[in-house]
Amino acid sequence: MLAYTLRRLLQMIPLLFFVSLAIYTLVALQPGDPLEGLIFQNPHLTQEDIAELKHAYGLDQPIHIRYFKWLGRALQGDLGVSRTYAQPAAEFIYHRMQNTLLLTGLSFLLALLVAIPVGVFSAVRQYSLPDYVVTFLSFVGYSTPVFWLGIMLMLLFAVWLPDRLGLDHPIFPVGGFASPGVDPQSVGWAAYLKDRIWHLVLPVFTLSVLSMASWTRFTRSSVLEVLSQDYIRTARAKGLAERVVIYKHALRNALIPIVTLVGLAIPGLFSGAVITETIFSWPGMGRALFDALLEKDYNVAMAALVFLAFLTALFNLLADLAYAVVDPRIRYS
Amino acid sequence: MKKKSWAWITGLLLAAGLAFAGPGNNSLVVGASQEPRVIGDFWSFVSSAAIASEIENFLWAGLEYIDINGKDHAYLATEVPTVENGRVKVTDIGKGKKRIDIKYTLRDDIYWSDGTPITTKDVAFYYEVGKYPGAPVQDPSYWKRISLKVLDDKNFVVSFEPAYFYDLVGSAIGLAPEHVMRAEWEKTKAEIKKLDPKKDAAKITELFQGFVAKFATPQALNQGKLVFSGPFTLKKWVPGSSMELVRNKRFFITPPGGADKYVQRVTYRFITDTNALLVAILGGGVDATSSVALTFDQARAPQLVRRAKGRYQIWAVPGVIWEHAEVNKFANVQEVKDLMLDKKETRQALLYAMNRQGLVDAFFDGLQPVADTWVHFQDPNFNKNVKKYPYDPEKAKKILASLGWKMGPDGILERTTKDGRKVKFVLEYVTTAGNRIRERTEVFFQNDLKKVGIKVKINNAPASVVFSNDFFSKAYDGSWKGLFEFAWLFGIVDDAGVFTCHDYLTGETYVPTPKNNYSGVNFNWCNEEFDRLRAKAMIEFDANKRREYWQKMQAIWAEEVPALPYYWRSNPIVVKNGLVNFVSSTYFGSFGYPTTTAWLIGWKSRGAKPVYDQAKYGINVLEQK
Repeated sequence: MLAYTLRRLLQMIPLLFFVSLAIYTLVALQPGDPLEGLIFQNPHLTQEDIAELKHAYGLDQPIHIRYFKWLGRALQGDLGVSRTYAQPAAEFIYHRMQNTLLLTGLSFLLALLVAIPVGVFSAVRQYSLPDYVVTFLSFVGYSTPVFWLGIMLMLLFAVWLPDRLGLDHPIFPVGGFASPGVDPQSVGWAAYLKDRIWHLVLPVFTLSVLSMASWTRFTRSSVLEVLSQDYIRTARAKGLAERVVIYKHALRNALIPIVTLVGLAIPGLFSGAVITETIFSWPGMGRALFDALLEKDYNVAMAALVFLAFLTALFNLLADLAYAVVDPRIRYS
Repeated sequence: MKKKSWAWITGLLLAAGLAFAGPGNNSLVVGASQEPRVIGDFWSFVSSAAIASEIENFLWAGLEYIDINGKDHAYLATEVPTVENGRVKVTDIGKGKKRIDIKYTLRDDIYWSDGTPITTKDVAFYYEVGKYPGAPVQDPSYWKRISLKVLDDKNFVVSFEPAYFYDLVGSAIGLAPEHVMRAEWEKTKAEIKKLDPKKDAAKITELFQGFVAKFATPQALNQGKLVFSGPFTLKKWVPGSSMELVRNKRFFITPPGGADKYVQRVTYRFITDTNALLVAILGGGVDATSSVALTFDQARAPQLVRRAKGRYQIWAVPGVIWEHAEVNKFANVQEVKDLMLDKKETRQALLYAMNRQGLVDAFFDGLQPVADTWVHFQDPNFNKNVKKYPYDPEKAKKILASLGWKMGPDGILERTTKDGRKVKFVLEYVTTAGNRIRERTEVFFQNDLKKVGIKVKINNAPASVVFSNDFFSKAYDGSWKGLFEFAWLFGIVDDAGVFTCHDYLTGETYVPTPKNNYSGVNFNWCNEEFDRLRAKAMIEFDANKRREYWQKMQAIWAEEVPALPYYWRSNPIVVKNGLVNFVSSTYFGSFGYPTTTAWLIGWKSRGAKPVYDQAKYGINVLEQK
């Protein structure tokens, strides 16, 4: 197992090299370069001026030279400075990652806490009215576009309901991270935490709906498959309580594919959620990466994408190792 | 309900109350759809976004500002330098070039927010950094032409050689707080000196940006690294969310009735999704919108208009963004030659065939005015007597017939060329894919042009493609072959460079061809008289004489129509009832920033006196509806 893990870790080195090369090439091959927009701000600029600026930003060099310069610095722990934010790319990503993990982590937890019990409940009561209701809601959740749901929830809680209830402020805010002026120093920790939670409710719910719906369906089908197995019939035949049959024998086995699915979803927590973050003005990784790609801020885009590639490779490895832990039939050598 | 639940709800509502201020606590919440990356990047080494300029109006004062009527107004300087008051000296330096020396005097009562007096040291520091070799400045011409002579603590002379008329519009030079930035600059200079400017240019750029980052990023500003000279100071910036500004007690202008009658705290909320911003306005969480906020369609959304009564006003302020179609006039491109796009008669016929007023009425309720030339109707040099092109398809047909076009059996014009080929009038139309307004516009005009026998072939691509050098600048090689719709931003200092073929002052040619390495954005319209008038206007510092040249240039342009002018975009702003002096005009603060005179913004109910009337500078959308 240890040898296998080490071998997989070593394989990640060439993998990350090729991934970083591919990402750098794709980012650099986007049409246009970061300075072409300048001519629209200042038509006085001559080609010589633009050439000088390209030289100043190192954009006059061929892609492969730029890539190896970037790689050389990255190997020394220097991921460069964001051209648009003037901050070290690693520091910028670190701040954004914290915000993203708060949002995606909570929505991930909420989705899990709802999806697994509801999926089991739905499977155990297959073809009953509650099962139909859960199935219907799952399909609604699965097919509802996030941007639409986000805006509708904001309208509901910030406009319609306050109007009906005669409030002059929203029940939940229209996006944002915290209320302006609310910080622990000025209002105290309790009020500050309440404010942060108040701001988290709608984005966390919006982001979790899709996972909730798909994981509910997945849990339902996984549990249904296990419930038809011989050992479940045996467990029931020997007189075990239904609760024990479901939670001890069925659910534990049904969880094996779910653990894999959930494990592979973990890198997604770090990449953020562009649409949810944009709608709710949440300063996270998704928006930062999207903006960096649009504005051709190479250092930020590279740092973020290579880090995500590393996490994907790492969590793939962890998911593979988790198979061996949850399923005794699997052994790595 | 349990007691604990009530406590939670009370807490949340308390937090909601903090977020929703307004006249109650004499504060203001402005909603913006963009967020600046840095604030206080005095040299634009990192960024020069419009939203940054709008917010910087709250925080820093310049020597002068452009007032609501588009005129220069003294700010930190004692008076606006002019030839008449002896502060501007114009010298002929031969070869048709001029030099100007502009003498400024700083006011005696101006201080940075930490109490340090603002002096010529701050001007000299700004100059020293911007002029330093390797500085990644985004307007190299300005820094090459400028020089500075400090006379004493309060007086200095800024010179430009060669000088152009726009050097006298607005502040001739900036300033930066020397006493807080000097030490870091000395460290940066020492680092730069170790590097080779040729080999290490990118590293030097990073050092300049790193220097700015020590003061202008959210983290640095939150640590109080920078001082302010404007009516407000920055209290806290939560990146990606909001920025809080509070009144600067050291600011030298007292608004009518006293500063306490005007807003004391301003919060910018950055809501990048404009639909979410619209919901925030509907929910009452935003008192006014920034100049970078809702789209024009959203500002006229029925939900917003229905809810406006008794709550807010919606204004459309004519802006300086000129929506138009460039025409490829390079006759070496076969399609251009076949369609005779290089002939003014063809372009005139196209304009007569396009119902621009109909477009503006249909899509914008007439709120975005049709453009006659590239000069804005609010510009002091505007010529209202130029040739106009009202919708007249019959006239278009006649012109096209005089050029040899005949209607084909399929309803498309056709003609036989001199070399015996039969060509049909199939016109390529390019614009930025995904821009719904432009896509609607081209379909509207496609329909108009079809009526006169012109088939429009739409060939859109994403903005990153159409504005890339290989596409945009290579019309000579036929990268685009007909019309290309996009917008130029023509500020109050526009110098007609976009339509200049030969620059008689610099000797450069602005028609992008392989000969000049595709420099310039004039797609092959060369009119010698226009270029000569422009060369005279560029070095004419007498506004009346310059107006004469400019008006003649407009007459020539309107006759030749090198591009097809569509309309001037209007900026929508939403302002809660009772908020005064949060007003925009075409040239306020150069580009219509409602924050140019931020010290006057206040709530009428708190005693703020209305100084400006938005109705004079914009159209009330609610009255139009």
